[in-house]
Amino acid sequence: MTSTRSRASDTARRPIVWLAAGVIAVLAVLVAAPLAGLVARTLDSDADGVWADVFSSPLSANLLWQPLTNSLLMGLGTGIGATVLGAFLAWVVVLSDVPGRRVIGVLAAVPFALPSFAIALAWESVFRNDRLGGTPGLLSALGVAVPDVLSWGAVPTVLVLTAHYYSLSFVIVSAALWGVGGDLVAAAELTGASRLRVATRIVLPAIAPALLSGFLLAFAEGVSNFAVPALLGLPVRFQTLSTRLYGAIATGDAARGYALSIVLVVVAGMVLWAGNRATRGRSFETITGKASRPRRVVTGAWRWPLFCTASLLVAVTAIVPGIVLVVSTVLRRTNSFSGGFTWHYWLGESDSSIAQGMRGVLRDPVVLSALQNTVLLGLAVAVGAGLLGLLGAYVVRRIVRPPLVGATIGFLSYVPFLIPGVAFGAAFIALFGAQIGPLPSLYGTFAILVLAGVAASVPFAFQTSRAALGQVSGELEEAAVLTGASGPRRFGRITAPLVSRGVLGGGVLVFVTMVRDLSLVVLLVTPATPLLATMTYRFASEGFTQHANAITVVIATISVVATIFARRLSDARPTGSTS
Amino acid sequence: MTHLQIAGLHKRFGEHTALHGVDIDLPAGAFLVLLGPSGCGKTTTLRILAGLESPTRGTIRIGDRVVVDTAAGIEVPAAKRGLGMVFQSYALWPHMTVRGNIEWPLRVAGWTRADRARRIGEVLESLEIANLADRHPAQISGGQQQRVAIARTIAPRPGVLLFDEPLSNLDARLRVETRAEIVRMHRITGATSVYVTHDQTEALAMASHIAVMRDGRVEQFGTPTELLERPATAFVASFLGTPPAVLLGGDIVDGALVRDGVPLVPRAERGWRVMYRPQDLRLHDHGPLAFEVLESTPIASRHLVTGLVGEDRVSVVTDVPAVAGDRTGLALPPGPAGVFDAAGQLREAGK
Repeated sequence: MTSTRSRASDTARRPIVWLAAGVIAVLAVLVAAPLAGLVARTLDSDADGVWADVFSSPLSANLLWQPLTNSLLMGLGTGIGATVLGAFLAWVVVLSDVPGRRVIGVLAAVPFALPSFAIALAWESVFRNDRLGGTPGLLSALGVAVPDVLSWGAVPTVLVLTAHYYSLSFVIVSAALWGVGGDLVAAAELTGASRLRVATRIVLPAIAPALLSGFLLAFAEGVSNFAVPALLGLPVRFQTLSTRLYGAIATGDAARGYALSIVLVVVAGMVLWAGNRATRGRSFETITGKASRPRRVVTGAWRWPLFCTASLLVAVTAIVPGIVLVVSTVLRRTNSFSGGFTWHYWLGESDSSIAQGMRGVLRDPVVLSALQNTVLLGLAVAVGAGLLGLLGAYVVRRIVRPPLVGATIGFLSYVPFLIPGVAFGAAFIALFGAQIGPLPSLYGTFAILVLAGVAASVPFAFQTSRAALGQVSGELEEAAVLTGASGPRRFGRITAPLVSRGVLGGGVLVFVTMVRDLSLVVLLVTPATPLLATMTYRFASEGFTQHANAITVVIATISVVATIFARRLSDARPTGSTS
Repeated sequence: MTHLQIAGLHKRFGEHTALHGVDIDLPAGAFLVLLGPSGCGKTTTLRILAGLESPTRGTIRIGDRVVVDTAAGIEVPAAKRGLGMVFQSYALWPHMTVRGNIEWPLRVAGWTRADRARRIGEVLESLEIANLADRHPAQISGGQQQRVAIARTIAPRPGVLLFDEPLSNLDARLRVETRAEIVRMHRITGATSVYVTHDQTEALAMASHIAVMRDGRVEQFGTPTELLERPATAFVASFLGTPPAVLLGGDIVDGALVRDGVPLVPRAERGWRVMYRPQDLRLHDHGPLAFEVLESTPIASRHLVTGLVGEDRVSVVTDVPAVAGDRTGLALPPGPAGVFDAAGQLREAGK
């Protein structure tokens, strides 16, 4: 009896064990190996003394300390700005009686769906001054003298990053405010406490974990973002760690670039890890039975001023950049209405009198091939990461022993979340850029883009799959076990269909992040594999404003359409849980 | 001791009218249960009483104080009404310990440190949660959370206590225990209490007064015994009691209400129904109305038999059990306990 049972359980366990081994192997190649390669390349003989160069040499100030300070400043500024803005809008949308709050809420989530360089390019189109030559922005064209501080460097970078990342804080804090519920506030009001006292002693502490986690996410993103400082800072030699390491690798100074990547990984990783530690188990939401409808604050005379402030903020961050970008692409003269309007930059044939004979983006074979590559890359990464995430989440759920297996998969699936895109790109070059035994160098191939994309997207794919699987109650699968169906059959016929919506929704969001990503691919792309985001960056750096903006509009359109699609999928998600 | 008066209370949410003129006059120290199905306006009434919602029209007095008079433009904010409320979601402040939760209202009310400490000790003791004082709400069970919520509410000794379905998130056993706890707290504090529930057994067990609500109106206000014995409407009769009263309709034959050939009352109109108390009905094979047994539940050495008479579900209390699926007969007492017209209003009280 015992022997039959143990043999049966062995057989039942075998496929899942193989699956677990496979998942761990893939994650090891995609996540652990590049990081190890990165470290190895800074220690081998070619890289002699690179750490000393970086940390203690006459170069260190320029190479590390100044960029690191700037990165931390960008992080701090973005963190504070995004938290204040996001929390304010969340309060308006969830707790106030300000008119139009529903629309404000929808718009407040938009900037994050746009690529971060979209807002940066829009900023440039408006605020660029003539310090560097080239065509100045709309304000200069209208005769307004724009000071350097507003045109270039730290201030516009922080403002643009804030405009992009406040959506994160907004979403997190809104959820917390909904979770707090109206009863909590009503109970505090009934004690006779003043409104201010209720706000500072009850509401604020209750959402403190959400504020903190929103702040740390925005901080980490601000530290590591590449596109925005590259567009608004690099032209005036305002360097952050991301732009510095990009510059080092792009100019062939790879070892220093790798060392800076490691510094960036450690800094961003520490911030995010601290965030996870600080907020773990401190979510105050939904602990006391069911959450009640939020209690709206009657704002009285403040109603319209609040409305104006809130709608101005979302308009400036969600609508105006889009309009600026679209309009700028049809201006004959860059950033100036004086030349009239034209579709040339979209549809025009080569004309040597305009933009050095560049064709309209929709006629340019390179742009079209970049479009194709971008969509293909998005699809490949979404499928790859989705599959890996789903299998990983399934293994973690099914395999109880040894606990190390689940922990390893969970850890490897989480690590890429801590790694900034540029640094991850650097790690992939460090590992796959050279020939490994019989394997050829992957540098310059489409494959390296897909591999890096899958690796970078695994955390998100894994989390969505795990959440989706969590919604399928164990009883459903147990019921299938009782019918005698085999493991793969149960997965295919019961589990997979039930989680498909959640996984598909997650896949679409992976697709979106891939389509609009610049930081991960900027080091990996070569002329052989153009992508839309890198073309935008190149055009913008070379001063082809209309072309850069037109491609950004294309990317933004794809992103927004796909995001809406994903939202619709998740809204209609069946729970699949038995109650 | 606080006497409580609600008069002509109306509430409209946009197009929907939630309250159509609610009047309740509650003596000091009473325990009023607002009872009714979901959407009847009971919670709205309670929240208006608390000051968490504004009425469209009406007046409310708490003790000698007018807290709401829409005609005079008076509306005292919730914070200034001096009442305590226990919420369905408990609404414990998650970032404070149990002690902190109980202390904060006292602190707001300006109690001295010594008074606060003494009072916290008292209520913790009284609700038997002294051992939880330093835990956070997330670390204690649902039943314990509800005790903390009650402790927090009674600590400042409010003159009026409000309860919004406080037991609905608890399991059956805890519900009965906590129910007794609330009744005990009411007895000790003497605070006039208003309690909202849709559970009629809860209402009958706790209330000194019940207001049965339906569609934004009070159908009947009175003591539990009055409501059980002399229901003013067919709705009250069918809503209260375990089992509730039996209501039977029939056809009009020569001005009389007749059911399957059995005369119920001599003079009636279309749509009228007659009421019988379950304990007055008998089941036996020669009973004149055909009765198909659906289930038979033993209760306190007797049996609650539910079955179908035509399409009406009828519950009868009997001395002997019945077998599900059996067909037997229902025998009626000589006269009904009440007659309701088509609108559900009582036309004739029975014996």
